Amino acid sequence: MKKDFKFYFAQFSSKCVYGLIKFVKLFKKSLNGSHYPGKIALKFDKDFLGKIEKPEKIICVTGTNGKTTTANMIIDALEKNGFEVLNNKLGSNIQAGIACALSTGATITGKTKYDIAVFEVDERSSIKVYPYIEPTIILCTNLFRDSMKRNAHPEFILDIINQGLEGNTTTKFVLNADDLISCQIAPENKNKVYFGMDALLTDTTECHNIVNDFANCPKCGSKLRYNYLKYHHIGNAFCPNCDFESPEAKYLGTNFDFNKMKYSMIETLKDGKKQTEYNLITDSVVNIYNQIATTACLKEFGLSDIEIKKAFDDYKLVESRYKEEDYNGLTIKTMLAKGQNAVACSRVFDYIKTDSGNKAVMLNLDDFYDAKTSSENICWLYDTDYELLNDPSIKQICIAGKRRMDHYMRCLIAGIPKEKITVCEYEEEEPALLNFNKIDKVFVLYDVYTIPMAMKVKEGIKEQVDIILEKLEKNHVKISGNNDKDLTSEETKK
Amino acid sequence: MVEEDLKIEVLFPETANLYGDTHNMVYLKQCLPKAEFIETGLADEPYFVENDVNMIYMGSMKESTQERVIEKLSKYRSRIIELIKKNVVFLMTGNAMEVFEKYIETDDGTQIKALNIFDLYAKRTMMNRYHEMQIGEFKEKLDIVGYKASFSMSYGDNSEGYFMKVVRGRGINDECEFEGIRQNNFFGTYYIGPLLVLNPLFTKYLIKLLGIKGKKLAHEETAIEAYELKLNEFSDPKREG
Ligand SMILES: [Zn+2]
Repeated sequence: MKKDFKFYFAQFSSKCVYGLIKFVKLFKKSLNGSHYPGKIALKFDKDFLGKIEKPEKIICVTGTNGKTTTANMIIDALEKNGFEVLNNKLGSNIQAGIACALSTGATITGKTKYDIAVFEVDERSSIKVYPYIEPTIILCTNLFRDSMKRNAHPEFILDIINQGLEGNTTTKFVLNADDLISCQIAPENKNKVYFGMDALLTDTTECHNIVNDFANCPKCGSKLRYNYLKYHHIGNAFCPNCDFESPEAKYLGTNFDFNKMKYSMIETLKDGKKQTEYNLITDSVVNIYNQIATTACLKEFGLSDIEIKKAFDDYKLVESRYKEEDYNGLTIKTMLAKGQNAVACSRVFDYIKTDSGNKAVMLNLDDFYDAKTSSENICWLYDTDYELLNDPSIKQICIAGKRRMDHYMRCLIAGIPKEKITVCEYEEEEPALLNFNKIDKVFVLYDVYTIPMAMKVKEGIKEQVDIILEKLEKNHVKISGNNDKDLTSEETKK
Repeated sequence: MVEEDLKIEVLFPETANLYGDTHNMVYLKQCLPKAEFIETGLADEPYFVENDVNMIYMGSMKESTQERVIEKLSKYRSRIIELIKKNVVFLMTGNAMEVFEKYIETDDGTQIKALNIFDLYAKRTMMNRYHEMQIGEFKEKLDIVGYKASFSMSYGDNSEGYFMKVVRGRGINDECEFEGIRQNNFFGTYYIGPLLVLNPLFTKYLIKLLGIKGKKLAHEETAIEAYELKLNEFSDPKREG
């Protein structure tokens, strides 16, 4: 697309708005207008994305879960190797966010100042983005059920992505061999490589989750079988009645050593296989996938093994979704469990179940906005594996908030004994109801917009620990040799 | 009727399972632990073809599955009509209901022939998804609460055979005040998700319809408390739908 007056005006306006926002931010740091310049640009020229000059190489990262983490890893790796990377890390991942990044990364006449860009792209924005920017590489982490209000089902999202890629012959796709849904991206395009993860000790051959959106063979309709299955539909599948099977991973993560925090990547080359050892930056399967995806993408981009190793050498995964604190012997873990996203929540529940020790869980998953103005659609609770919380190591589940009776009912249907469940109206009431003598750890779960509430709950837990310790101390003075454990249980029983 | 003799067929649960719909049957199983639940896969022949059943359930599905389900069930159209006449309970949630209508019109105007058992047709608009919370009056003193999230609506006259009269929200389309389909014991509704969990009074009604009297539901008190809270909340016009 050629630049015209409309474009120049749009770029000029976008730049002005960007400058204005920057200026106002000097005084008001909390101002959030991250994609506003992009919105303005698109308002004046709806073909803005097509007309603005773009960096020579563009990597787009998309997928239901893990796209932010993966895009950030790629950006970080490239920067560590000396590249300057245009990105939308601080903005939004929809069309306007990308327009904003391209606009600010270009001169007033729309000439780009960068050679490389890495964009996180919301799946539903595909139609509005890909026809205009034709990325060098598109990396898709996975496709799962997401918000049922907006995203319906993964096949709907897959269709949207594929509509955006119609006629695209230039992009290289880096896809997840273990996710047969996202493997169907751009069916006409043959320029694809796959990444995957070898079997882990925790893998099974049967799906134990409620949601499996790729249960049947797309060729003959038979029930698929698995060589190994990690969760939901993520694994290595084959059809028992025809030749359908998971594609071969060109990049296969294997030999995971969680003591030394190392793993190997087996790369299939034209003339054989090559094995390279890398630092493992995480022990969570979900994030290992993100690391493998990043490595595969960087290899396809042209980075050497040494350069990639360098990127992961001292990489600190920003675990903003997960914080751990030890408070006088009690471990408090605050964890983001993306509400209305059944798969993300099920992963969190699985993590809690398999984590060591005796645990209490504070299930605070209400949608912040729905709780205020509407009534949250709770159907997603029934796509979520609450059954994972029905485990002997989980001693107590506290439920609060507007949808408490719905969560309570869901827990009961999952078979969790009534005696283990505590229900109260407000989240802040939960800490006082904790039965401390049974647990080593408390998990405080929260949704995207409810971090302040989670922090309050966490402080409340600490206060309760202080109260118990104070009482214990007093009693020690009164009666020496008292049994601490028993006393604690008496004091906290309600 | 004794609980042990009940046969409930769940159609295609491996794929007609969106939006938590499967828990209608998980919950019913907990309420009727002695009943037999037969799960039929999309590749198998439905149990009802050769055998008598007391109830048939099918839940929401993606559009491509809906087309395969229509193809599959078309072969058994007359048997389905016979079962409806024989007062077998059918519960069809979400877009499962559309399978029994005349046809489904897609975005490009194509008409996908459906089972043509009810004189209604559906229209799909894939770029226009709607979502709302609803209350419907099933019968006197029995309101049903639930959610809709769909790409499609149904058209035609259902005023003589509807599932509910709408109290809050829309019927089978924007202009319609009646939700779903009812003929004998066939219940079809656009409501998605665990309808039976959310509506214990309706579940009790359904169990009675199956011939089981005086049955207490699983977790009944909690279910009723949750239902009353929700009904209250949904009745508040200030709460956005
Ligand atoms: Zn097959």
